[in-house]
Amino acid sequence: MRNFILFIRRFFNLIFFLLLEVICVALIARTNTLQGDDIMSSANMLMGTMYKQRNDVAYYFALRRMNDSLVRENAELREQLADHGETDVLYDSAATVPVTFTDSGVAVKYADYVYRTARVINNSVGAVNNYITLNRGAKDGVRKNMSVISANGAVGRIVNTSAHFSTAISVLSKKQQVSAKLKDGTIGYISWDGKDPSRLQMRDVPNQIKVRKGDTVYTTEYSFFPANVPVGIVYKTTLIRSKNLQVLYLHPTANFRNLQYVYIVENKMAKERARLEEAAKEDDK
Amino acid sequence: MTTLIKNIIRFCIILLIQVLILNKVTLQWWAQPSGFPVFIPYLYPLFILLLPFETPVVLLLIAGFLCGLTVDSFMNTAGIHAFATVLIAYFRINVLNALMPKNLTEYSGQTPSVKNMGWLPFIVYVSFLIVLHHAAFFTIELWSLSNIGYLLLKIFASASTSVLLIIAYVLLFTRQTGTGKSQRIL
Repeated sequence: MRNFILFIRRFFNLIFFLLLEVICVALIARTNTLQGDDIMSSANMLMGTMYKQRNDVAYYFALRRMNDSLVRENAELREQLADHGETDVLYDSAATVPVTFTDSGVAVKYADYVYRTARVINNSVGAVNNYITLNRGAKDGVRKNMSVISANGAVGRIVNTSAHFSTAISVLSKKQQVSAKLKDGTIGYISWDGKDPSRLQMRDVPNQIKVRKGDTVYTTEYSFFPANVPVGIVYKTTLIRSKNLQVLYLHPTANFRNLQYVYIVENKMAKERARLEEAAKEDDK
Repeated sequence: MTTLIKNIIRFCIILLIQVLILNKVTLQWWAQPSGFPVFIPYLYPLFILLLPFETPVVLLLIAGFLCGLTVDSFMNTAGIHAFATVLIAYFRINVLNALMPKNLTEYSGQTPSVKNMGWLPFIVYVSFLIVLHHAAFFTIELWSLSNIGYLLLKIFASASTSVLLIIAYVLLFTRQTGTGKSQRIL
């Protein structure tokens, strides 16, 4: 016993050092999955308030650029509105399923989206898993797993909320992949290799599908994003001969380096759909 | 000003610089060849490096752990910064022992600085621990050795930028008096 105490006393520093490192490793292991993100995040009160103060200063200098992007988005939305103005929704419901149709006897109501605006108060592109802090939280109705899009394209997914702030994991993250489709409906996954914030990859696209430079890739109904939100633009394709597959390299359409305003999209049907899909999985077992 | 208060103020200043300014600065050397690493310089390990010579190892470890956890919660990287900072807090004493001519207990009331150590030993001390910190941090963050060239490039680029910033900080907060003596303010 005496030897044991002497041993502890002699190597106390080393033991304490190893203990702290084990705690750190446990924390890292806990957050290495998508589910563990809630343990520590910049969505808490202190961090959020500090980030907000900083953003208030930087905000002023970005006003001009933001005005431009808002005007452009307005024009785009007006164009889309004009396209739909002459469509008789009831008649053409097979072609363009209206997303907010109330009579479920006529058309299947599969999605009902609520858009909330939010300001980006912190943002990174340099890490392997990048997070964005937003100035909306649980009090504004933001919940986990809602999707975040900007005027230009898909941005990320909410992983954590506090009363007034929330954090989202961005598309630029090794932890999550985004279900995506090409113009002709080919479905695949978009992933990021953790290196260059202006390069996304779409792997395992069959070789016979013709992809051109400049083609846009959109989100699908399968993911947490609303369908048909642009994710990236193809700028390079490489062929893997042995597998007869091609890899597409994309520039993300959202500019992650200077995100200012984003929309938090709530899918009101998401819960019902998730419950149904869970039930189907249970039946399989 | 007592050493304790001085260190607490320094902790706040360094952390504010790190979180409010440096985290926003995402650097990329030579942006053109695509694939060159994007990185953030890390100044905050300087807090551990500038604690007094005689600080007991246990205190160093606790300070490193708290400092790392604070940065972690700002950057959403639970544990990685804390791991790297505790690592350099533990090895700090060995590096100092190797570089200083006398036993560390003889430098009571002094802190590692250019004045107390001389330029070359100070820069060796800073660079060694910063490289150790960055190597641990980026290895855990990337979590694979399959692309070792990229990892080394990232460590090198980030560490050299951090060391430059640390030298800038040290120069900025040192007062030069007329007789050629210099004094650290913070």
